[in-house]
Amino acid sequence: MSSSIPSSAALKRERPPSATAEALRQAIRSPRVVIGGAIVLAMVICAVFAPQIAPNDPAEQDLLNMLLPPMWAEGGSIDYPFGTDSLGRCILSQMIFGARVALFVGFVAAIGATLLGTTLALISGYFGGWIDRVISHLVDLWMSLPPVVLSVTLMVGFGTGVGNVILSIVLVDWTRFCRVVRSEVMVVARKDFVSAAKLLGFGNVRIILREILPSVAPLIITLFTLQVGIGIIVEAILSFVGLSVPAGVPAWGQMIAQARNYMYQAPWGIILPIIAMFITVLGFNLLGEGLRVTLDPRLRKRNI
Amino acid sequence: MFKSLINVAARRLAGAIPTVLLLSMVVFIVLRALPADPLALLLPPNATQADAEAVRKALGLDRSIVIQYLIWLRDALSGDLGNSIAFREPVTRLLANSLPATLELSFVGLGLALLISIPGGLLLYGARGTILENILDVLVVCMLSIPSFLWAIFLLLGFGVMLGWLPFSGRVESGIVIPDGTGFLLIDYLVTMQWGYWQNALSHLILPAMALALGFSPLVIRVLRSSLLESSDDHYVTVARQRGLSERQIILAHMLRNSVLPTITLIGAQFGFLFGGTLLVETIFSYPGIGNLMVQAVRNHDLPVIQGVALVFCVTTLAINTVVDILYVVLNPKLRRA
Repeated sequence: MSSSIPSSAALKRERPPSATAEALRQAIRSPRVVIGGAIVLAMVICAVFAPQIAPNDPAEQDLLNMLLPPMWAEGGSIDYPFGTDSLGRCILSQMIFGARVALFVGFVAAIGATLLGTTLALISGYFGGWIDRVISHLVDLWMSLPPVVLSVTLMVGFGTGVGNVILSIVLVDWTRFCRVVRSEVMVVARKDFVSAAKLLGFGNVRIILREILPSVAPLIITLFTLQVGIGIIVEAILSFVGLSVPAGVPAWGQMIAQARNYMYQAPWGIILPIIAMFITVLGFNLLGEGLRVTLDPRLRKRNI
Repeated sequence: MFKSLINVAARRLAGAIPTVLLLSMVVFIVLRALPADPLALLLPPNATQADAEAVRKALGLDRSIVIQYLIWLRDALSGDLGNSIAFREPVTRLLANSLPATLELSFVGLGLALLISIPGGLLLYGARGTILENILDVLVVCMLSIPSFLWAIFLLLGFGVMLGWLPFSGRVESGIVIPDGTGFLLIDYLVTMQWGYWQNALSHLILPAMALALGFSPLVIRVLRSSLLESSDDHYVTVARQRGLSERQIILAHMLRNSVLPTITLIGAQFGFLFGGTLLVETIFSYPGIGNLMVQAVRNHDLPVIQGVALVFCVTTLAINTVVDILYVVLNPKLRRA
């Protein structure tokens, strides 16, 4: 590995892909990326290995042990480390299984929103003209409804279910990508290496995919990471309203909504899933923020 | 300047009309894809097929979706948004009763957000390059990870249930009469000089408005900080430093004023975020606004209400955007001359 000063000078002359590689090397050294990444990794492990990690079956009702406090409180039991809910179900196990819904929705919806938003942004920013005006108007139009209102309305139309939650998040949040990526594409499209590629007679598709996309990739990675956190929050909001997963499936929003009826007797039932959600979203936000600073050469130089 | 203001307002309004039309069409079509039949809720269980057909016809549900939309649009333009299926009341009356409550909550929430984020942004800027900046920065990222509905639950549990300091249900104590006025209780009680009621209404507003504010303020803090950072290298700041002004004077008298514009732009662009937050915050605090109305309508499959509330959310957001654009012209001397 070369020392940092010559390599950052070389960055300006080199082509974008190597800039990304250099930025990734930088990213690993940022504490935010490391801490955020560790949280995300831990949550992914929880979600994937939920049946192995969870101490109990999340759906099993122990009607003799309803609303048990966590094990460190008086009257708690080691069998239910975080206590039980109003139906005697293990809160810790529900939280661990809840990570599955949260992360699945978060990741898949973020992939969908990234693909849709980025594709339209590349077309809009590269070609300009009427197509840019149409897409930009569409984005403005879509953004004049509060995002939560739009996704709730879409869910009412589509009906409940995880697939529809993902669809509604994609249909609401692609605008975020489109707007930000489009303006970046417009900047990149005016750079010399793009003009050079045009003079060499490369096709538009090739220029977009090989010259422009790599240059905006760091921005897309950052937005993607932040979007996963947003998706997790939106899923919780929708399952809080009762528009997401069916009643039997453990999800954080649903746990919060159900525990709300018992929060006077059993506040831990509502606090614990909130903490799980907060830590997960924080993990994605730290990772995203860390990547934003390290992947964006302008911010890196300012060393914020 | 007056001319340019009218220009901005006219341009925004001309743009807003097709937006409202298109969005109302989208909402209409989406809601017609609803898997549950709204008729099932309207009819008694022993209704015959003929009864069902009669109601379907009366509601216009037997026509094509384009005709249905045009009928809805015609009625909407004449101020009739249909009747609520669950509440058996005109949608417009439900909206008229609950919109002022939501606006009052949102504006107080916005005010609190500014009270938190202006000192917050200044503190973060003042701490640049120190350890404190890193700590505050992580704190802001933490705040960003807590949406307003989670703040609502925390505040309700902490200050409402455990400490018992503030009320956490409704707009006023039950039994207090809601006056026929603007619908903004803080204004109505002020005008009629009912101080006890005024304080009661204010105490009911604090927790839900705080939840909205805490969810919104990290966004404002960041914009304020970054615009302060950007202007710290500007000529006028250098000149002010050379004139020997203290850093505090420079920030408060010069830089803050220049950071107002990007902050206002953000508030305009993100107002929908704060406004949409009322959906769950109102539900959690049983606050009778349009957010709460929307959630109840969703649970009841009450299509006319969902449609009406979505329309009101859209129109209000556009109206706020227009006001923000006008403010931008008023406050930006460069645009004033143009």
